[in-house]
Amino acid sequence: MKKKVIASMLALSMIAGTSSAVFAAENTTAEMADASDVDGTTISFWHSMGGVNGEALDTLVKQFNEENEYGITVDAQYQGEYDDSLNKLKSAQIGNMGADLVQVYEIGTRFMIDSGWIVPMQEMIDGDGYDLSQIEPNLAAYYTIDNELYSMPFNSSTPILYYNKDMFEKAGITEVPDSLEGIGEIGQQLLDNGGAGEAMSMGIYGWFFEQLISKQGLEYANNGNGRKEAATAVAFDENGAAKNILTVWKDLNDKGFAPIVGKGGDAGLADFSAGKSAITLGSTASLKQILQDVNGKFEVGTAYFPKVSSSDEGGVSIGGASLWALDNQDPKKLRATWEFIKFLISPESQAYWNAQTGYFPVTVAAQEEETFKQNVAEYPQFQTAIDQLHDSAPEYAGALLSVFPEARAIVESEIESLLNGNEDVDAAVKNMTESINGAIEEYNLVNE
Amino acid sequence: MGKKTAAKINPYFYLVPSMLIFAVFLFYPFFKTIYLSLYKTNKMGEAKLFVGLENYKALLSSPSFHNSLKVTLIFVSVVVIGSMLLGLVAAVLCNKAFPGIRFFSTAYALPMAIASSSAAMIFQIMLHPAVGIVNKLLNLDINWLNDPKTALWCVAILTAWLNSGINFLYFSAGLGNIDETIYERASVDGASGIQQFFSLTLPGLSPIMFYTLVVNIIQAFQSFGQIKILTEGGPNESTNVIVYSIYRDAFFNYRFGSAAAQSVILFLIVMVITLIMFRMEKKGVKY
Repeated sequence: MKKKVIASMLALSMIAGTSSAVFAAENTTAEMADASDVDGTTISFWHSMGGVNGEALDTLVKQFNEENEYGITVDAQYQGEYDDSLNKLKSAQIGNMGADLVQVYEIGTRFMIDSGWIVPMQEMIDGDGYDLSQIEPNLAAYYTIDNELYSMPFNSSTPILYYNKDMFEKAGITEVPDSLEGIGEIGQQLLDNGGAGEAMSMGIYGWFFEQLISKQGLEYANNGNGRKEAATAVAFDENGAAKNILTVWKDLNDKGFAPIVGKGGDAGLADFSAGKSAITLGSTASLKQILQDVNGKFEVGTAYFPKVSSSDEGGVSIGGASLWALDNQDPKKLRATWEFIKFLISPESQAYWNAQTGYFPVTVAAQEEETFKQNVAEYPQFQTAIDQLHDSAPEYAGALLSVFPEARAIVESEIESLLNGNEDVDAAVKNMTESINGAIEEYNLVNE
Repeated sequence: MGKKTAAKINPYFYLVPSMLIFAVFLFYPFFKTIYLSLYKTNKMGEAKLFVGLENYKALLSSPSFHNSLKVTLIFVSVVVIGSMLLGLVAAVLCNKAFPGIRFFSTAYALPMAIASSSAAMIFQIMLHPAVGIVNKLLNLDINWLNDPKTALWCVAILTAWLNSGINFLYFSAGLGNIDETIYERASVDGASGIQQFFSLTLPGLSPIMFYTLVVNIIQAFQSFGQIKILTEGGPNESTNVIVYSIYRDAFFNYRFGSAAAQSVILFLIVMVITLIMFRMEKKGVKY
């Protein structure tokens, strides 16, 4: 496969008249200039952070441009949502005029590794002697394949459970359930005594499905979750993970505890903020939005993302995006990119980033920063997320799959069909498996 | 002799600039789409594996695509009928001078100035089951956009309303072109308002009506923004119109071959409908 990619790249680049770009693609370590040589270098950074997050990122970029001692200028460009940005990158790379640093969502990881466009982060880390232990191990684990860190985690989040403390108190529930089954047991109490309109508003979201597999300690795809080698089929059908999840989810839905609230990670949040549902699941990055929307109407509690059954042994994996360095055959730009990355993951930057956005501080030392401490004091709920991440382990890092965006959409639409009563659990699992395996097969066929 | 051939060829040179633009922006993409539809594409969107009509066969036997066809036809019918009726009624109402006419005219024409995406965002909030104004006002508890029974109607009605603005404008212009004196003569003859409407107004509007119909149908087939924002083709693919399905396949699943095949089928459908309508024009439209 690699040879074909190289051959086609060779052909393309000859047409474009830039044949020098090709030969370093295999096994050679990318060359990085010395930090003292990069004066006047400009690098372009493609990101997908809009809104408040975008402003926070712009502030960091501006700070770097003003304060860095190497004379590097970073040109940060918002390229739309993750999907859009990745699409633009694909077209740009054909003409070899892409960015130097690009932010790609976690489910694009396998694609980026296979693309042959990148310089693995590990090469820069080794070249510069950077101490990798400063990075949160459970975040780095996701982007580590064969003991090499391929991209730098930047904005990472995990899902947590949000609950309405007032309703729980009224219903006389003292212990927050740690599993979906446990939620089923208290659902009636919440409805009858807690004054809840619905026990749980849980969006139909592929990420939650993936997390529930990790929480069972099982695998999503074969070949070691697609980490030893590219996956050739899903594993959640044979190991029973999908069936366990869907059975309990359907049961909650049938009992009226978890009605359909829509697709996507945010679908359940509005019902929760409006005081209708007692429990919702959401990303840690939604914490601020939720507190803002609830606006003191009731007390918001947070707990670990639920398991399927209380006896499960597993952990959460992460979502969000990471930073990929592109191989542009320019040692100066590579060094400039690396210096910028180091700035972004420095404790100060990360503490600021965390306080502004709710994403995890990537660097352990950020937790010593005053900004971070203030933020946790103000939003004690965030501590749940930190603890949950530390309680997980690298082996629950989750799957890598070339067709992940599509697989996620398939999972969501099958769950939707299941909850709407159009098919039973076994049929839903079977359809998911067939569709996703078909997509993987086709992808492997045309991309070899 | 030489002069004559020059005179014959000359006009074609004037066509070159426009043909060039067409070639780059229309013909090339068109043929490229047909070409891609015969291939399976790799993750870069490059044609990789020639499969002949395989993409078409797969589509025509896929229940999901059948569903898309059905949904698209329902959607287009509702949107076209809805938007034309709305535009026509509003235009007829505003055809008489009365106080506040400017306000009403502006209000009825306004939808054409609203971007479909921003309208969709507003409707998303209005239709929200817990905090939306629609449920509050009607005292209902319907999950409009997440119930397969209502979702298609919601996006279709929104689209009909959005498209009605430009129809209002066309119909107003059409009404202005009808000779006032024929109404006077009709009332002297004792024709009632309803008779006048069906015997004078509608036939008088038929040329512009035909034009709006064609444009509306094509426009309805191409609706995208509101569906992407409101339902993403869901729930249960109940709003998965062909255009949205093309987008999903091309830019989400990176299956440009299948997406191209769908585009070709969509093109054929729209072409056939347009041809049929031009046939009908000869019978129904009075100039």
